[in-house]
Amino acid sequence: MLDDVARENTGRSTALAIAVVPLFFVISGIVIRYAAFTVVWPDHSLQPYIQSLCRWDCSWYVGISEKGYEGFPIPGESNVGRWGFFPLYPMLVAGLRAVFPFPTAIVAIATSIALSYASCLVSWQLLDRNMRAYILYCAFLLSGPFSFYFTTFLSEPLFVLLTSCVFLALKRSSYLAAGVFSALLSATRLVGVFVVFATVIQMFQEHRKRGGPVLSFPRLVLSRPDLLVAILISPAGLFAYMLYLHLTVGDGFAFVHVQRAFGRATGNPLQFLWDAFSATPATGWLPTSPQWSAFACVAGLALSAVLAFRRQYGAALFCTLGIVLPLLTNLASMVRYVVGLAPLVLLAMTLLAAHRATFYAALVLLPATCYFTMIAWMRGYLALV
Amino acid sequence: MPWSSFPMPPYGRAAFVGFYALATLLAGSEVAILGLALNPQVHPDYRAFYIDETTTCLNRDRIGSYSLGETISFLHLGKQRERMKRADSMKVCGWTGPTGDGTHSLGEASRLRVKIPEIPGDLTATLEMAPMLRPPQITQRVIISVNGVRVHETTLSGEAPQKVSFVVPQAVLAGAEALDMAFDYPDSIRQTPVASNIYDRAIKLVSFRLDVADGGATDRTSAPQTPTGPAPGD
Repeated sequence: MLDDVARENTGRSTALAIAVVPLFFVISGIVIRYAAFTVVWPDHSLQPYIQSLCRWDCSWYVGISEKGYEGFPIPGESNVGRWGFFPLYPMLVAGLRAVFPFPTAIVAIATSIALSYASCLVSWQLLDRNMRAYILYCAFLLSGPFSFYFTTFLSEPLFVLLTSCVFLALKRSSYLAAGVFSALLSATRLVGVFVVFATVIQMFQEHRKRGGPVLSFPRLVLSRPDLLVAILISPAGLFAYMLYLHLTVGDGFAFVHVQRAFGRATGNPLQFLWDAFSATPATGWLPTSPQWSAFACVAGLALSAVLAFRRQYGAALFCTLGIVLPLLTNLASMVRYVVGLAPLVLLAMTLLAAHRATFYAALVLLPATCYFTMIAWMRGYLALV
Repeated sequence: MPWSSFPMPPYGRAAFVGFYALATLLAGSEVAILGLALNPQVHPDYRAFYIDETTTCLNRDRIGSYSLGETISFLHLGKQRERMKRADSMKVCGWTGPTGDGTHSLGEASRLRVKIPEIPGDLTATLEMAPMLRPPQITQRVIISVNGVRVHETTLSGEAPQKVSFVVPQAVLAGAEALDMAFDYPDSIRQTPVASNIYDRAIKLVSFRLDVADGGATDRTSAPQTPTGPAPGD
């Protein structure tokens, strides 16, 4: 009887902690980012604060949310259409703006914070209920050095949440749910479509774990229409967007072709990495912007290798493709792409939480660096684009 | 059965058939959409710039006003905004904004377009431009076409702007409402070895002028004299 009460009380306090920890970091993140903002901007009111958060691609998402996509020719005689930015998150913000009559950027920032909070809640199960890793993950997303990505109008907040939902569904072998989340993910960012490989790999691993021979796996999938639907529905978001682009622009691959107007030229990823590492600072010892991007890329690939080593092959492949695909067109936005891959951040936080010393060090450093990176973000530091 | 240990969820027969139907619908839709995407129905300008990448200059529906004999400056003229607007209205694509040493070309090609009255004879075009050079490259070739017909080729060198004059034959203007002048830069300079060619640099355009040819006009480039290639219209 007493054991039951104790267990119930422990369960309640854990549930409370799961809810309160990210809430604490939501508030601390807002305070830290605002403190950094007051250093950079002379006007400390809300409007400039919103502007300071909404930088780089954020303005594209605001444009899509308010005006939708252009046809061709692009109004304003521009070469650069909005087609390269996927539609789900701007659509979500447009829908919410219809309910809440506030400026787009404010609705988007509130939505991003809510989505990142939800990502934290979903991560509890993915982190195997490891409280220390959970605290660090919440700190990273909401008060960490890259928290501005997850609290402004970029695709990252929704991308991280949906990625987490896909992997949680896979962990529970809920393939149809994983397929639906994957479909949404593929409408959020192009690399989201790669998560279908994680689904297939998970199916294969489960098949093997239950003693199924390798060669019988295709027959298994073909004989199970629910698994077929789970796989085929995964890229549905991407295909829906392609159909929309074909009907409006005449080119279903406009999101790829428009990269030319952004000056993205494909090339040898190794050469890009070499060039970036070679861009040494002219003065001082701080790495240059290309070097930070290259470090992020290599760290991301190394963490993907660790995922593979831990037999999380699906997550490893998803993250590797999520890094290598953009790397084909150089290292622009690489830091953002890497920290937006939830399995990598979950792994990194698990590793940091493994020892008490690293846990406490990370707990202090993550919010502390948030202050400085927020200043760099507002000042337009190129590695953070 | 090897896969019998992978438990089938408790779906009824109707759901089983429904899943197959949905899977077929999804597969069919995705193949159809992929087929559409592989066969884009786009404007030729779109195709040339975005898909085939045969040009860095995305054609735009822009025609500047122009009076024969008028010299249009492509320099940054400070507060003389109306004059700068005249130049801007002619720039179709492949140009940056005006600077103190001219308007820089952007990419492997640039275009100017002006509305012109019907002219009974040939025109003489006079352009003042300077090459963008990066050692060891010491020259910059410029191939000029009007309304799709190649009319002149010149090679620029040195730092100072050079005046280049050439004849635009009446034949290439016959029936046309506009004079569409295209500049191609075979030796354009890439910003970095891995940069996109849409950021290439080749020339700085300083001024543009059209005159009615006096009958004896010949192609010439001045200060310094540089060899010019044959123009098909000659």
